Amino acid sequence: MRRDEARIILLRYRPGTTDREDPDIREALALAQVDDKLSRWLADQEECQQALRQTFQKFKAPEGLLQQIISEQAASQRAATNQQWLKCITLVATITIVGIIGGAIWLAPRPQADDTLVIFERQMSAYALRGYTMDLQTNDPEQIRAFLRQRQAPANYTLSKPLQKAALIGCAVEGWHSTKVSMICFIVGKPLAPGTPGNFWLFVADQASVKDAPSDSTPQISKVNQLVTATWVEKGKVYMLSTTADESVLRKFL
Amino acid sequence: MAERLDFENLVACHYQPLYQFAFSLTRDEAESCDLTQQTFCIWAAKGQQLRDLSKVKTWLFTTLHREFLGSRRRQTRFPHIELEAAESELPEVSPLAVNRLDVEQLMTALRKVDELYQAPVALFYLQDYSYKEIAEILEVPIGTVKSRLARGLLRLQHLLADASNQAPTP
Repeated sequence: MRRDEARIILLRYRPGTTDREDPDIREALALAQVDDKLSRWLADQEECQQALRQTFQKFKAPEGLLQQIISEQAASQRAATNQQWLKCITLVATITIVGIIGGAIWLAPRPQADDTLVIFERQMSAYALRGYTMDLQTNDPEQIRAFLRQRQAPANYTLSKPLQKAALIGCAVEGWHSTKVSMICFIVGKPLAPGTPGNFWLFVADQASVKDAPSDSTPQISKVNQLVTATWVEKGKVYMLSTTADESVLRKFL
Repeated sequence: MAERLDFENLVACHYQPLYQFAFSLTRDEAESCDLTQQTFCIWAAKGQQLRDLSKVKTWLFTTLHREFLGSRRRQTRFPHIELEAAESELPEVSPLAVNRLDVEQLMTALRKVDELYQAPVALFYLQDYSYKEIAEILEVPIGTVKSRLARGLLRLQHLLADASNQAPTP
């Protein structure tokens, strides 16, 4: 190692520190022990280094920086805590509102399904009473079945023997949700003027289209609007026989 | 409360050397305050992740240096300069002349040292860090620290020699 190289290396030597453990510094220090000129330079250098270190370390941070850091951090922590609280409150409020709305929806009375037997009976009775127009006027039962079949309404219905003997005057097709209902019109009793709506009506619908249709073929008698009706199920179809007459007359045709 | 006291103690212990280091890098008081404060903010947010508490000081200095580099990245690209040992002759700086220098003159001289060398020189004088510790803080190899130190100290010696020559003798 040359003297000028040793000087460059010893520039970064600080006496009393771990710098001495550095192999290059060790080698340069060893050279200084045998080189008087380098040794004198090193003595001055060490003094310079010491003075520089002391002077550098006199440099102080501005007054108030310590308090500024601590107080701003505390403020930022407070803000963060407030934000967390706000988030918590918002979350709890949201959950509560959603819960209330959900509960209200759950507990609210649900609208009655409109494909139940009661609604079916009311709707069909209304057709009979409001002055309907027959789609086909005939007393021929086969024509009526053919017409209903053509209109994709129930046509393979079964008529009781008394009904088979009743005066047939025509039929109509009514709507019930997405299905069709056959309406067969009869006149019972003394003859009515031609074109006069009947006084006995048989409605036939698919059982599946009426939600709570009776489970068997035993007629259930009830009063719907101004009509007396008998409702029963047979071979996958709901039958509803209605009349303006009284119940005893109705029962004769079941 | 204890957590806050810990933070206060930590700041009280380290804000001075961190500010000194920041100032040696930025040469601007306001920016140095901001860098120091930012370093403690990062500590408050991420300091718990540090498992070895004996490394707190190094962690703070490394963080401050990273923040400084982050703020400078777009502005400056450090030049890569190799040390050539005998590039310059060593100036003669007497201990007497150095003793006459005040902090302001010394910091002025440090500001004139190339930016690449300022950080190792500042850590070398301000904190008496070992080469290994300086390497950890600056996240560079120890050999790089030594070469940068030699280069920076050489430049500083030139500047101090100029300053002492210009200073009026008593």
